[in-house]
Amino acid sequence: MILGLAPGRLTTTVVAVRDGVPVSSWSLPGTADTAFPATGALDALAEALPDSSRAIPASGFSALGAERPGEIRAACVAMDLDAEPTAPVAAIRVGGPCPPALAPHVPHPQGAATIVRGGHSLTGRPLAALDTDAVRAFAAGCGLVDFAVTATGSPALADHELAVADLVAAEVPEARITLSYEFGRPGLREREREAILNASLRPQAERLADLVASWLPGIPVYFARTGGGLVSAHYFRRYPLVCARGATAAALRGGQPEADRPDAAVAFGATLAVPVAEVERIVQARGRAELDRELGDARDEALTRVVSAGAVPGSARIEEMTVNPVSYLPDGLYRVRVTAAGSTP
Amino acid sequence: MTTPGEPPPERHRPSAYRPISAHQDGVAPEAGMIGQAELAALAAGSRLFATGAAESSFHLTLDWADAVLDKPVRLVAATDLPPDTLCVAITLVGSTTALGEQLPGGGEPTRAVQALERRLGTRSGAIVALNLAAENALLPLITAATLGLPLVDGDGTGRVFPLVEQTTYTLGGISSAPLALAGPGEELVLIETAPDRVEETLRPVVLSFGGWGLAACYPMRAADLARTLVPGTVSMLMAAGRPGALRSAAAPYGVRRLCAGRIVAVEGSSGHGADLAMPSVPSSIVVEESEGLGRLVRLEAHNEIVLALADGAAVAMAPDQICMISSADGMVVDVDKAEPGMAIEVLVLPAAPAWHTDEGRALGGLRAFGVPL
Repeated sequence: MILGLAPGRLTTTVVAVRDGVPVSSWSLPGTADTAFPATGALDALAEALPDSSRAIPASGFSALGAERPGEIRAACVAMDLDAEPTAPVAAIRVGGPCPPALAPHVPHPQGAATIVRGGHSLTGRPLAALDTDAVRAFAAGCGLVDFAVTATGSPALADHELAVADLVAAEVPEARITLSYEFGRPGLREREREAILNASLRPQAERLADLVASWLPGIPVYFARTGGGLVSAHYFRRYPLVCARGATAAALRGGQPEADRPDAAVAFGATLAVPVAEVERIVQARGRAELDRELGDARDEALTRVVSAGAVPGSARIEEMTVNPVSYLPDGLYRVRVTAAGSTP
Repeated sequence: MTTPGEPPPERHRPSAYRPISAHQDGVAPEAGMIGQAELAALAAGSRLFATGAAESSFHLTLDWADAVLDKPVRLVAATDLPPDTLCVAITLVGSTTALGEQLPGGGEPTRAVQALERRLGTRSGAIVALNLAAENALLPLITAATLGLPLVDGDGTGRVFPLVEQTTYTLGGISSAPLALAGPGEELVLIETAPDRVEETLRPVVLSFGGWGLAACYPMRAADLARTLVPGTVSMLMAAGRPGALRSAAAPYGVRRLCAGRIVAVEGSSGHGADLAMPSVPSSIVVEESEGLGRLVRLEAHNEIVLALADGAAVAMAPDQICMISSADGMVVDVDKAEPGMAIEVLVLPAAPAWHTDEGRALGGLRAFGVPL
């Protein structure tokens, strides 16, 4: 049995699903706490459910339709995060100077941003040495703990993002650091925007993941991804942005059998998904042998990532792989996109 | 190849070129202005058939243009400029993916044009586009705005070709050199070589810059520009980019729909062994037609799609432009973003008449892309 949870502003719904078929469900009034809709909804849910349902697997779980303790294999949470509170972010861009219109943009009024020298070309050549002093000074002086790091060329070579992460961690031990290369997509400003948004969601993601884990101790918890699929709570804590539109995606999946109950459709849809992870890289290869080796590395990275996203290791597989030569660059550069998927326990 | 120094003093100007500022009254009174309000229409029009553009680089170029267009740019016809006015063509050289990753410093247009001016010993009087596809429509506008110069209404291709020398300017006997290339890392290189050696010399330099540079090239008199450009294409794209305008308004020589279907395969290649200094390697895209005869349409690409074969028969080829339009969002699908499963339409845009001459086909036809058909 898998539980689907859809914490919403107006109602919060739990659906228990066995063998792909809903067997029971609850819909509870949502929270009036509009500042923390998902947190409030989950709190309200935990309060409203019968006591016997909270201690799993020690006590029975008949209230949820379970036939025996421990029958619940996983819980899948689907929510859209656009109304969730965001934290101020310290954004570090590694690259050259640019016109003000193209500078890093941190939406939160208490956020901060800087550009430090460094970065690589898409062929992996260093553009400049990393300005480590500037990184240390910014990290120590910004007064923030949520960092977003974006280095020029990181889809091809992420060394400077990793080096900045080390420097920031040394200066701010409690820092939560998002590295843009983990989102993969080429396009520095887009990747930077994603890294900043992800960093801003991380404190709330941790609260949400803690809340669900406290209610369902011992049960693997997953969160629905934007565009379909699931990630583990552990993965969600680090990359909440991949779940920013989880409810919307789950609704599309679960809509048909639960067409008359939108929240139930979201909760049900989440239970039908499987762990998914994506990797997008720019790789350089001269000739087929080098390209094959690079593609093998990208496959391995995607498989590792989907296991990190909660797939049972033996179930991880490559779903899709696309390789395109990058136009107008002569050095055998390819854009590689890999999607891996697996199964929940 | 030299590294230029400071601009020459005014007295060093040769008499062959005269600055536009001495002839402001000669600008046609009906010439339009492009400011922030007109930018959206030009930007939208420039993407209707643009291949090779990247979302990231296009949006950053658009933001950059918006920031410098607080003072509008005058759009002029080449024939309305004093004949001896020095006109300079502006183009992105290299990869839009690289531009989206390694952002411009902002000084590239000024550095490139001033380097050319130093070499020629005169000031430029107008800016013109090499082509008007996406970023390449906006970069000349940014350059004109930054330098306070007018932008000529027209371009040097009427479509896009991968090589700097594949222009109607070349067909008209104008050399792309001397060419000044400014990079995002404050690099500046001046290239002087035979016209047919420019591309070969340029590409390694672009790579050393990190993958892209902004070129100021084809320095020429306004009279020569008027003789060789494809005229009126800037204002045409602005009209085509307005809400409600038909896509075909951006195709001066018409549009033909080759097929609609779904991409079933994208095949890369490590090169076909042709003796070509062509950026990137070839690839093939196979489309299964979803209507009519259900043909298999194979698109052979080398940066751009250069040949379309339907069940093995050639049905479209360079110098005409072949592009894929996404059925999902109506946007052009770039060769390096094509994926199996995508629903697309394949459109063919006849090239400007200059490309259908013997000289035009030699410069921009299939053989120029290494396909000996």
